[in-house]
Amino acid sequence: MAGNMNNRRSWMIVPAHDAAVVAAASGAKPDVVVLDLEYTVPPKAKEAARAGLGTIIKKLGDRQATVFARIDRDTRWADVRAAMHRGIRGIIFPGPDAPEEVAELGELIGELERERGVEPGATELVLMLESARGFWNAAAIAQASPRVTALGVGRIDLTMRLGPVPQDEFRLYRFLMTRALVAARMLGKQPLGALWRPDSRGGVAGLAGTAKAAKEARLMGFTGCVCATAEQVAPVNEGFAS
Amino acid sequence: MNDLHTQALGEKPMPKYIRRSLLALSLDDAKLAEKAFSAWADAIILDFARKQDRNWLQDVKARMPAAIHAAGKAGAEVFVRIQSDCAAAEMDAAVFDGITGVILKGVTCPADVVSSAQHLSALEAARGIRGGTLEIDVEADTAGAVWHALEIARASERFGAFLINEPELCANLGMQCAPTLDFDPLEYIKSQLITVATSVGGQALGMSYPLGLTGENASDVVVRQAVKRARDTGFKGAVCAHASWVKFCNEGFRPTADEAAYYVKVIEVFAEGIKRGMASVPIDGKMIDVPVDLRAKLYLKWANRAQARDEAKAAAHKKQEG
Repeated sequence: MAGNMNNRRSWMIVPAHDAAVVAAASGAKPDVVVLDLEYTVPPKAKEAARAGLGTIIKKLGDRQATVFARIDRDTRWADVRAAMHRGIRGIIFPGPDAPEEVAELGELIGELERERGVEPGATELVLMLESARGFWNAAAIAQASPRVTALGVGRIDLTMRLGPVPQDEFRLYRFLMTRALVAARMLGKQPLGALWRPDSRGGVAGLAGTAKAAKEARLMGFTGCVCATAEQVAPVNEGFAS
Repeated sequence: MNDLHTQALGEKPMPKYIRRSLLALSLDDAKLAEKAFSAWADAIILDFARKQDRNWLQDVKARMPAAIHAAGKAGAEVFVRIQSDCAAAEMDAAVFDGITGVILKGVTCPADVVSSAQHLSALEAARGIRGGTLEIDVEADTAGAVWHALEIARASERFGAFLINEPELCANLGMQCAPTLDFDPLEYIKSQLITVATSVGGQALGMSYPLGLTGENASDVVVRQAVKRARDTGFKGAVCAHASWVKFCNEGFRPTADEAAYYVKVIEVFAEGIKRGMASVPIDGKMIDVPVDLRAKLYLKWANRAQARDEAKAAAHKKQEG
């Protein structure tokens, strides 16, 4: 939880359906491996991704990796059921809008912990805020389940919901990052986010852009962020090092 | 701006108080009276060290009335800074006739203000202070104070101001207090606190970027620029990290003499234009109409109030010296 903040700087997203990519990504040694069931998995591969999660989680667990699964908001119930195996550290829930959604997911996780022999209460929830409503309700959402350990700022969905894809810097982003930071710090959750600039956005950012995004976020008070390629792990870790 | 409209909302179109410079001094400072007298600050904040000795609060209580008297001799308002999590005990030791109010540190929720307001009411009754007059200002130094700012400001009619303690707020938020970013990471927080305070008829006091500005590392030029930015942001004054900042705050958090002269000209020329049946008149290539005239009157009133505040302090000095 709050004490783990500095151990979880880089949260690397890997497509859960592609075992080879998962293996390669874990070699980059991100602080957290995030098995993705959302955007990086093609719709046709979703079922296969869900079905293979148990095996991948076990393999990564054998390598002492910290493993989370990012679920799809629209299919969150099925995704959580697929992700709850021994070795999973937590679930990343993108785009929560209201506390009830988080509470409901927390209860489902509790049922699955009991059903599958996972230590009760051990599975964490990380919330990635991606909507205006979510940001407005940030504190209530983060308090909706004791499992919530981190509060993050999404980007792609944010720009789609709160404005067109910006031609220049998405200026609203700094306000949203500040709001998420304040809520996270108030509640003792890890603040996750990076100040991605137009020429260095998330998944396509190069080394310099990633380093700058991570460093500036650290100065703003964030302690880790999601990244999308193996090359981004080192600059993210360095940016959030202190 | 319509006065009736803004008054109905509780907002004030100009600073509620002329409180441009606040200087913190310690109760334990042997030169407290001397420093307060020579500072020319609009307000003095009295701090006291929290000690291990079990009788330390009794000691504070015994010395505080004299310290309040000494701090206010030069015409400054006097506040005592209180830790929110032990506010009742500290207010018992520090609240006496002669203070304008208390500054609460470490506030995390509206209940902190509510309980302090209730205790102040009891102390006013017990110590011969007119009921309801003591103000509560909140030093925003926690994430909770920022998140709950509106509820905190509305928690008591005693609320007067938010004071932004940048170093402590940055530490609480995990921000690194270094001027290496090309933007102010506290920008939105400052905007929120200024807007919230104004919405309840109060005001916000704070400095402005660069972060990490201290009494030790700031040149006169840097402090002047920071004060200007702070005023342009919407702050009405600041807590001075060093006594040398007081004059810059007193000068900076008010319209300048040149601005005041310009406003006088605007008011005169516009009044002449109205007499001639015009709705707007030009001055130096700029169009002067009703909103500009109203703004000029407002700013001139602000300048006059600041001038009156300075004259009152000067009179207090003269009285002491005489």
